[in-house]
Amino acid sequence: MANDIKISIKNLYKIFGPTPDVALEYVKRGMNKADLLDQQNHVLGLRDINVDILDGKITVIMGLSGSGKSTLIRHLNRLIEPTAGEIRLNGKDVLELNEEELRQLRREQMSMVFQKFALLPHKTVLENAGMALNIRGSTVADFEKEAVKWLARVGLEGNENQYPHQLSGGMQQRVGIARALVSNSPIMLMDEAFSALDPLIRSDMQDLLLELQDELQKTIVFITHDLDEALKLSDHLVILKDGEVVQQGDPQDILLHPNDPYIVAFINDINRARVLRVRSVMSRNLDEDTDYAGDVSEKDNLEAVLSRSGGDTNLTFRVVRNGEAVGSLSMKELTRALVPTNASTASNASKN
Amino acid sequence: MATYDSLFSALGLKEWCAEGKSDGPMSMADLLAKTKGSDAEPESLWDLPFPSMDTLNESCAAFPQSRELTKGLEQGFLAIKDNLSLVLDPLTQPLSWFLDSALYGMLNTPWWIVIPLMLAIVFVVTKSWKLVLFVGVSIGLLAFIDYYEYAMQTLAIIFVCAFLCVLLGVPIGIAMARSNTLQRIMIPVLDMLQTLPPFVYLIPLIFLFSVTESKLYGIAIILYAIVPVVRLTNLGIRLVDKDVIEAADAFGMTPRQKLFKVQIPLALPNIMAGVNQTIMMSLAMVVIASLVSAPGLGVLVLRGIRNLELGVGLVSGLGIVILAVILDRVTKASLARINASQKQ
Repeated sequence: MANDIKISIKNLYKIFGPTPDVALEYVKRGMNKADLLDQQNHVLGLRDINVDILDGKITVIMGLSGSGKSTLIRHLNRLIEPTAGEIRLNGKDVLELNEEELRQLRREQMSMVFQKFALLPHKTVLENAGMALNIRGSTVADFEKEAVKWLARVGLEGNENQYPHQLSGGMQQRVGIARALVSNSPIMLMDEAFSALDPLIRSDMQDLLLELQDELQKTIVFITHDLDEALKLSDHLVILKDGEVVQQGDPQDILLHPNDPYIVAFINDINRARVLRVRSVMSRNLDEDTDYAGDVSEKDNLEAVLSRSGGDTNLTFRVVRNGEAVGSLSMKELTRALVPTNASTASNASKN
Repeated sequence: MATYDSLFSALGLKEWCAEGKSDGPMSMADLLAKTKGSDAEPESLWDLPFPSMDTLNESCAAFPQSRELTKGLEQGFLAIKDNLSLVLDPLTQPLSWFLDSALYGMLNTPWWIVIPLMLAIVFVVTKSWKLVLFVGVSIGLLAFIDYYEYAMQTLAIIFVCAFLCVLLGVPIGIAMARSNTLQRIMIPVLDMLQTLPPFVYLIPLIFLFSVTESKLYGIAIILYAIVPVVRLTNLGIRLVDKDVIEAADAFGMTPRQKLFKVQIPLALPNIMAGVNQTIMMSLAMVVIASLVSAPGLGVLVLRGIRNLELGVGLVSGLGIVILAVILDRVTKASLARINASQKQ
């Protein structure tokens, strides 16, 4: 599948303060965030961000609070104006749009899901879901069918006439997602969409999102501070720290080859067996002579393989993709992949 | 010889002072002092008078006395008064029409239409039978003791003035919420309107308009009562959840859509709290405005004071309390309904 670049962010800088242009010069000369705040009284939001967001994929931007991730996502639809840089959507510079064109872009190209849901409290669930269409001039009768369809799809059948405050947090966020889906925009921006939900519901919502994504193949930009969530959802992972991209790429790859102590510290806490997938640790060579213990899908995580092996480390599994054998995975390889990173890639993480 | 003579001679203003010798009217205090002959210089520093206008005038006749300040203000006002009323008169004329027609309509419609109509309105805005019953009994009571006409006059004035306050105040509040500059300008004005003793409004208005015109008290009431609705509209719109505003922006609302679909509906509880306050303040002012011929229960209160008719004063005072309770409960009940529908 050819992956076209949907949104391309190039050399993006954002500095908060009274004279960002002046401060920008200092930043370009290499002043760091703390010095900039001390000496120039400006806050460095983002420094030299270059990210390509692929069409039909989930790009997750991860970082701790204050890393600039929410600032970055708001640049995509220009809720925040950058200090320097460019943002291209389908090759067209978003920063050159005038007010009316920008409004069209927000109405038709991008929808957004918010951490605090941001539903209209005085409107029913149905009216909230149809908000995007209502803004474009549709009446309730026009958008009702569409809104009911998507509300049902996110599991809110029969709640159409309730008000947001009558729903639980998880249900409110389902309305938020339905609202974004009803707008039928190719891009969905999700700003810590599941961070305010409790863990079980969050996991449900992640599954729902993946299910929807299988079906719709939207371009999703997802912000989170939770690595497990990032690894579960992302096709492309961007890790931000203090307004800078520290590493980006295939999440499995980042997990196996972290290039920064910051990321190592991050990934030490996670359950590697659950997050790593067969495809990232398998070997490509298929040996006809080997006696395979069974077939595993390349999308399975190592935990599933472990439980199938029953703890026997001498087994080798055949890896299949869509019914076709693509490689093999021995339990020894699997075990090696589970060794925590700072031991296995000591060279990369030597600073730690 | 007065205390600050030396000051003026030191400044070399002796001649200028001498020019100002006049035989202007003397104040009573001066006259008394003169007859007593106590116009002597104070003996010690303890008695040193503050260098006020009047004290300085004693040393230097050319220096204006403080009464010339108030007099100057008055003359200045009188000088622009004609031009001012030339502009303000036609501008405010509709207010007179509104008030007169409201009063006429209220009094010339039979009671068996007015009272049920009012009860119907109460039910529509509050959806509470209990409140309808309370309002019915209260008005019935006022009517039974023959205060129906006065009460209706007061109500008619309040309705017109409160309605105009909302009509003017909400847009002003919205404008204030959108512009920090306007807010900085308006807040001192609102503060002044709110703290100026209500009687003081009446003084310049009496000069500007004829006392027989109803707009005189209409303007006084509106000036006094508009403050809370402006303030709370401004506050309400500024307090609208930033996240919801951001969502409105992110989905591409125009500023106009944002105002009508998000900001005003979400600010409505605050705006309605402002309307409640505005109505209560117009009730307070309508009583004072009876000094300048506003009809209604206030007239009876005034009669009670003037003629020392204790009973009339007390009963009409109680009537005002009853009206206040009715208006307050009804607006609060409708406010509670709005709040209930927008819990976050």
